[in-house]
Amino acid sequence: MSAEPTPRREVVTGEPRRVRPLPRYRAQSEIDEQTALGDAYVRSLMRGQLRAGLTAFAVLALAAGTLPLVFAALGSAAVVWAVLGFATGPPLTLIAWWYVRRAERNERDFARLVEGRPTP
Amino acid sequence: MSGPDHLASVVAVTLVVLATVLVGGFGLRISRTTSDFYVASRTVRPRLNAAAISGEYLSAASFLGIAGLVLVHGPDMLWYPVGYTAGYLVLLVFVAAPLRRSGAYTLPDFAEGRLESRQVRRLVSVFVVGAGWLYLVPQLQGAGLTLKILTGAPGWLGDVLVASVVVIAVAAGGMRSITFVQVFQYWLKLTALLVPAIFLVLAWRGDGQPRVPLDEQLSVFRGDHPLYATYGLIVATFLGTMGLPHVVVRFYTSPNGRDARRTTVVVLALVGVFYLLPPVYGALGRLYAPELMHGGDADAAVLLLPARVIGGLGGDLLGALIAGGAFAAFLSTASGLTMAVAGVITQDVLPSRGVRHFRLATLLAMAVPLAGSLVVSRVPVADAVGMAFAVSASSFCPLLVLGIWWRRLTPPGAIAGLLLGGGSALLSVAITVSGTVRPPGWPHALLAWPAVWSVPVGFLAMILVSLATPGRIPQGTNAAMTRFHLPEALTSGRER
Amino acid sequence: MTGAGIAVVAVIAVLLFGTGYLLGRTGRPVRTSDVGTPVEHATFETLHTASLAAPPLRAGLTEESARRSARRLRSLLGTDALCLTDRDRVLVWDGEGDHHAKGVMEHVQGLLASGRDTAFPTDCADLDCPLRWAVAVPLTVDHRVLGTLIAFAPRESAVLARAAGEVARWVCVQLELAELDRSRTKLIEAEIKALRAQISPHFIFNSLAAIASFVRTDPEQARELLLEFADFTRYSFRRHGEFTTLADELHSIDQYLALVRARFGPRLAVTLQVAPEVLPVALPFLCLQPLVENAVKHGLEGAVTDSRIRISALDAGAEAEVVIEDDGTGMDPERLRQILRGEGGTSTGIGLLNVDERLRQVYGDEYGLVIETGVGAGMKITLRFPKYRAGVHGS
Repeated sequence: MSAEPTPRREVVTGEPRRVRPLPRYRAQSEIDEQTALGDAYVRSLMRGQLRAGLTAFAVLALAAGTLPLVFAALGSAAVVWAVLGFATGPPLTLIAWWYVRRAERNERDFARLVEGRPTP
Repeated sequence: MSGPDHLASVVAVTLVVLATVLVGGFGLRISRTTSDFYVASRTVRPRLNAAAISGEYLSAASFLGIAGLVLVHGPDMLWYPVGYTAGYLVLLVFVAAPLRRSGAYTLPDFAEGRLESRQVRRLVSVFVVGAGWLYLVPQLQGAGLTLKILTGAPGWLGDVLVASVVVIAVAAGGMRSITFVQVFQYWLKLTALLVPAIFLVLAWRGDGQPRVPLDEQLSVFRGDHPLYATYGLIVATFLGTMGLPHVVVRFYTSPNGRDARRTTVVVLALVGVFYLLPPVYGALGRLYAPELMHGGDADAAVLLLPARVIGGLGGDLLGALIAGGAFAAFLSTASGLTMAVAGVITQDVLPSRGVRHFRLATLLAMAVPLAGSLVVSRVPVADAVGMAFAVSASSFCPLLVLGIWWRRLTPPGAIAGLLLGGGSALLSVAITVSGTVRPPGWPHALLAWPAVWSVPVGFLAMILVSLATPGRIPQGTNAAMTRFHLPEALTSGRER
Repeated sequence: MTGAGIAVVAVIAVLLFGTGYLLGRTGRPVRTSDVGTPVEHATFETLHTASLAAPPLRAGLTEESARRSARRLRSLLGTDALCLTDRDRVLVWDGEGDHHAKGVMEHVQGLLASGRDTAFPTDCADLDCPLRWAVAVPLTVDHRVLGTLIAFAPRESAVLARAAGEVARWVCVQLELAELDRSRTKLIEAEIKALRAQISPHFIFNSLAAIASFVRTDPEQARELLLEFADFTRYSFRRHGEFTTLADELHSIDQYLALVRARFGPRLAVTLQVAPEVLPVALPFLCLQPLVENAVKHGLEGAVTDSRIRISALDAGAEAEVVIEDDGTGMDPERLRQILRGEGGTSTGIGLLNVDERLRQVYGDEYGLVIETGVGAGMKITLRFPKYRAGVHGS
């Protein structure tokens, strides 16, 4: 910027045009086309992903559902300290890692299928 | 408990507060100023984003509350950190990628986009504000407690201080869930617990490794129905994480669904590492601060231990580190929540938009929980957080899971589920906090731990009413499902 | 819009099937055939006739299209005569008794005003003329009566009245589709015009010239620039999708600036401040790049000194705020107001107007451009994008 006093700026906005924003739930043609074309594909992908998710969740639910009963039966506080305090992180992370790998593999397979590429 | 020997702590807290105000108030944004587009427009990588999510997520309940609860009620309380972590696993397997792909910034956005209904949007907004307020109360109370222990100041002062700092920082235009700030917060919190913990364990070994009274169970957990309460806690925390407003907002920063998933795995690991520490404090607290087990402020255990076990200047400095970390925990979670709640209030409650309205909303977002924290009798920090999780699990979990995986969900179904599931959980929490129904007895247990029944109620109501109103399935359902589940490789044309 | 259109067409097709079936039974002797039942034949014939009448109408209601479709429409209705009019005159008369064509407009004046179906006796002096009665129905698009369809019959017929109504509705759908086609074409034209305005031939020529100048001195640089150029044009001319993400838009701006820098070298300094949190925000395609191009133009236009451009994209809660600022020649605020009112005339500022209009269209009036400028004072343009808006999805 030069040393001479900077000329003043003025704020300018367009006049309100009383435009109504486009309808909020306008069906987007591209996605519609995609849907009409690949609805069955998407359903199968969803089933695959849901299966992966439910498997991971089932493992978690089984553990979380039975552990309190096991602890109650054992009646040893030290075991509870050890298991809950220090031994839950790794298995949880492992399940998560397994799930992500499976979900991403599902998506890769799906993409390959849709694009008509052969499985390597 | 107070006095000049806590000078270091006061300095640490002041530093944390000042830094927060500076970052917020002066709009000093740690965003990249550069002429290199490649550097500037790099999206946030999963690892960084995960640290930011963890930084915002690890609240006062995690920092102080868990150790206090474990100290008093025994290891059953360790289900809290397990639940806080496992909640991310559930979030990962059912919600993370599709939620990101939906493009929603907040839960009301998701509800509106999926169900094409302004009504559902408004109702979800009410619940977001409700759950956010519930979560804010314990943050403020924790701050009050911390300040009381450090300086002997009356308890309300800390509440007011944290509330003011957050309102100023947020309203002035800063603390906008800045990734780098939150990343810093995570490492600060981890360090603030880890370093003193190492010294504490060393001191304990130097002490001749006295046996920690692990088995001693003085106060029976929640009176008469411990097993039920444990399950209530498990259901609430496992399913409630996905609906916490400040968690959802953060996922928007992921560039795509795949990254959102990877981010979540890293969050799981980071949060898991952090939660290794509170049990250490709880156990050592049993040994060195046994008087806390018999009443008093058990939440203070973490703060008191360094002075008790190590003492001297070292103890003071470590105590100061913990105090600073605790305040960082209050401020980051509270500002994240306030941002989310204020955002929803501006968008869906106040009539018109604009910066001034956002400030008003910020004030509103904080005023109610502040009043709550001052008026309501003190519920243990982690307990109060559990209630926010229960509400979230009963309302948002059915909405998200069914919204993402079930094509037949209808707006009336969603409304019914939110009202019956979330509404009943909210009501139970209100009754419990008001103290109308007191332990012992099943009525109290059922109301204090509503998730076990309110989550199924929410799911059932949503499913049954949706099935009864098949004509109301939104037109764009198929398109939405495609958007939620289609991998990026197919939608964006090029992989990034 | 098209989805609803298709649904309407489907409904009409079903109605037509019904009508055709009824007419087929009443109007003609039932044919027998070895292949298929009479009902199937009637259905097929009806649908086939309908589909043959459709294409001409997709061009709109003109004499030509009316002429080409009238015969099909008449056979669809099975009447002795059928007439299509616009608001002023008879477009076509198909069938017998075209001596009625002269007087017919008088009968439909009321209909053209009210949009309601009418029926009238022809009162023909010629006793041999089979056209004794007529039913007229309006052809409407968007609640505007474009013309009428008139069917003539030897006697009053309720079925014919209904059938004429159904056929008219079907014609209306075709005309609506025609309208839609037209506006879509207009939209695409406008888009292309806007794109051409943005990516001026000058820019393309200059870029290529700059690249060419490097070919000898610095082939590696030339190769890179050429890649940038290809990438940039590919993005700018991409046809699918109305929306993009801030990350992609910024990427394209980067390529654009690389090409500009190749020409102007160090005269142009660009500063960027980008909050990574807002990179995934979805926004209308090509709504920043024209503004940056403007800034470059203003900065380098006649300026002896160097030019500075600052681009920032910051996180503002539920919104992203993008600012593009230059220290160039600026603009007279009055002139700018004119441009934003659409009275700019010349090609300058088309970018501004186009972006302003699209933002308002997508997000509403409160999201229009906010521009601070003065003569010689540079220009600062502020844009706000909601992080989420139903129906707005990037990529």
